[in-house]
Amino acid sequence: MDARARSVLSRVLRRVPSRDMGALLEKWSCLPEDQLRAVDYTRPRATLTEHIIGLCEDNSLGLKHVTNLEMIYHIENPDQGSWHACQLTDPQDDAASVELVQFKEQFKAHLLGVVRHISIKIKKHEDDAIWIRIAWGDNFHKPNHLKPTYAVHHLHTSYVFISNLAAKHKIFLSQALEVATKHTSIKEGHLTTKSLTAMRDLLLRRYPQVFPSAQLRILKERNAPPLHPCIAQEHSELEQTRHQMACEAFGPGPAPKLETAVYKLETRYRGHGSQTLAEGEEFFRGVVRFSSSSLLESFHHCVASGVAEGPVTPLLSAITRKGRNYFVITDKGPVPPGQSAHRT
Amino acid sequence: MEERGCAVDTPASRPVARKNKSYGRSCVEAPSYFWQTPGQLTVLKLPTTRGAAKSQIITDKVDPEHIALLLRNEWKLSYVTPLHCFRHNQLSSYAKHLSSFIVAEKQQGVAVEVGMDAGFKVTFTTVPGLAESDVDAETVFIQIQSKPVFAAADAVKVVWRGWLTCVNGDPEYLRSLPADFVSLPLFFTNGPESLTTLVKSWFGRTFDANFGSLPLNSSTLNWLAALWTGCHPTCNIRYLKLAWRLQSQPVLDISYTVNPQDAWELWNSIHTPESADDQIGEKEVQAFMNGLETHFFRHFKIHLSAGRLLTVSTSLGSAHHDGKIKIGNSEYITTLLTLLTEYALFKMPT
Repeated sequence: MDARARSVLSRVLRRVPSRDMGALLEKWSCLPEDQLRAVDYTRPRATLTEHIIGLCEDNSLGLKHVTNLEMIYHIENPDQGSWHACQLTDPQDDAASVELVQFKEQFKAHLLGVVRHISIKIKKHEDDAIWIRIAWGDNFHKPNHLKPTYAVHHLHTSYVFISNLAAKHKIFLSQALEVATKHTSIKEGHLTTKSLTAMRDLLLRRYPQVFPSAQLRILKERNAPPLHPCIAQEHSELEQTRHQMACEAFGPGPAPKLETAVYKLETRYRGHGSQTLAEGEEFFRGVVRFSSSSLLESFHHCVASGVAEGPVTPLLSAITRKGRNYFVITDKGPVPPGQSAHRT
Repeated sequence: MEERGCAVDTPASRPVARKNKSYGRSCVEAPSYFWQTPGQLTVLKLPTTRGAAKSQIITDKVDPEHIALLLRNEWKLSYVTPLHCFRHNQLSSYAKHLSSFIVAEKQQGVAVEVGMDAGFKVTFTTVPGLAESDVDAETVFIQIQSKPVFAAADAVKVVWRGWLTCVNGDPEYLRSLPADFVSLPLFFTNGPESLTTLVKSWFGRTFDANFGSLPLNSSTLNWLAALWTGCHPTCNIRYLKLAWRLQSQPVLDISYTVNPQDAWELWNSIHTPESADDQIGEKEVQAFMNGLETHFFRHFKIHLSAGRLLTVSTSLGSAHHDGKIKIGNSEYITTLLTLLTEYALFKMPT
């Protein structure tokens, strides 16, 4: 095993917790079963890692096997690193009939044609996600396997989720995706998260949603402490309305775990206390950043408890409606005082 | 007051007449202050107006090396009750005693000789020039270096720093103290909590001083936001960043970074400097913060007042609700220290 393969292998092994090591190596199925069974996973990390590297060398495993292991690890643990979303637009007529084999062929052919040294691996996961691993090189350097780009795409959807892509390689990946999926262009999705699962669930709408309806009333679990009956009666209708609004904007159940949302404000001043500013033409610039361990649930709670007033402002509901978490808010021309229109 | 020799003609360098601040005699008192002093009668109340932040080339008065010590770190704030029989001319003896005390505490049960050179080296230095008025005591800077017993001479590493200061402390209060007492009510610390506790314990034993934490309430943070924004014309604050925390489930953190020029224009439209002796009122500070909160509300419909303001930061410094502060710029250090000294004296139980 050469030095490159060794370094990639030790990197992967360092990140895997000892308790998951056994399952991962089994799934990899590159090491004979009897040798695997003999491994003692309770040893100190350094010894364990050396032992496994030794086993790999004994079995003459190479870079190809090691990158395979890395891919399996990432597929099993997708919520690491930083992912951002892109959207494919303007599909050609035969975009809907693209099959996996065709996709793989076209993708690899395009990239191999434009980049001198490159290593591409494509794997289809059982949930129909196509995982692509790319190690980039250039005219003078071999592919760098320590900093691979990962891209995930579900065929026939318009989203691609990308992690660890350098700016200089962006154009190559974009073109390859356009060619392979038969779309004309690809654009920035303005959504960045740590969790691929959250991103995927949000964009592919894989979470419970509520659609606005005058008749629909959602039953809420009554965990609230017992209130005076008169207060409860007065508040119950308000509470129901607030709960309804929260569910419509952010979903009733477990929402995708987004962590941040950033709004760049370039609107005119809309506060109190300053007549001169309110009448002025200049923008009151600022950046607002919301962060939480689960942003949509926090917003849901704020709306349901009244901290956020209803109806839910389109700025916040745009996170779920449009599936993005970076917005630039500008004024849409002269606006009557007390309202602020926005254009994203 | 005497003329201060400054190269630049700033408002601070012109003779300043002593201002009469009204302390707590009026009936119409901001109700928010009362709950902070449960059942105790203090003479001191926080002023409702204060002078605008004055730029001062502090390096004329204070050694730049000393200033550099104050600027770099994040400090934790505490208040200190007056120190009994503290003498500025006995600092080296204090240093030796504190050093032995720390070594003794760390090696419980072993007798330690005062002056023995092992483990920790403590230095007490005065920082002359920070004190503003005649009744302010000079600032004292304490540094603890760890000295491994068998290491080379240059292996010393500063492990803990702290300083005691009093800037523009209330003159009536300071003059009313008995002669033996020195008041340095504001204590900044940086370093491991274990050493901070030891230092506080030593001060307690030697000078009968008590310490207490000094968390910064939202009123103080609002003042800092307004004061720092007001400095923008003379010293680019680069940004005004405010961070709130809303207790939703899970907790939501909101940070609002305002463009400094726009923040300043908002402040300027609320408070126009009327004279060289610029006074800012509490109502203006409140209006400034309300303006920002309302602008935010108009966009997001979220009541920031339902949350708690946690931090205020600009390039001049940052202040955290927990009582942590970082000083970014020496020009406005006097105003900042004045505000914090007032707050420390106010919080101190009498």
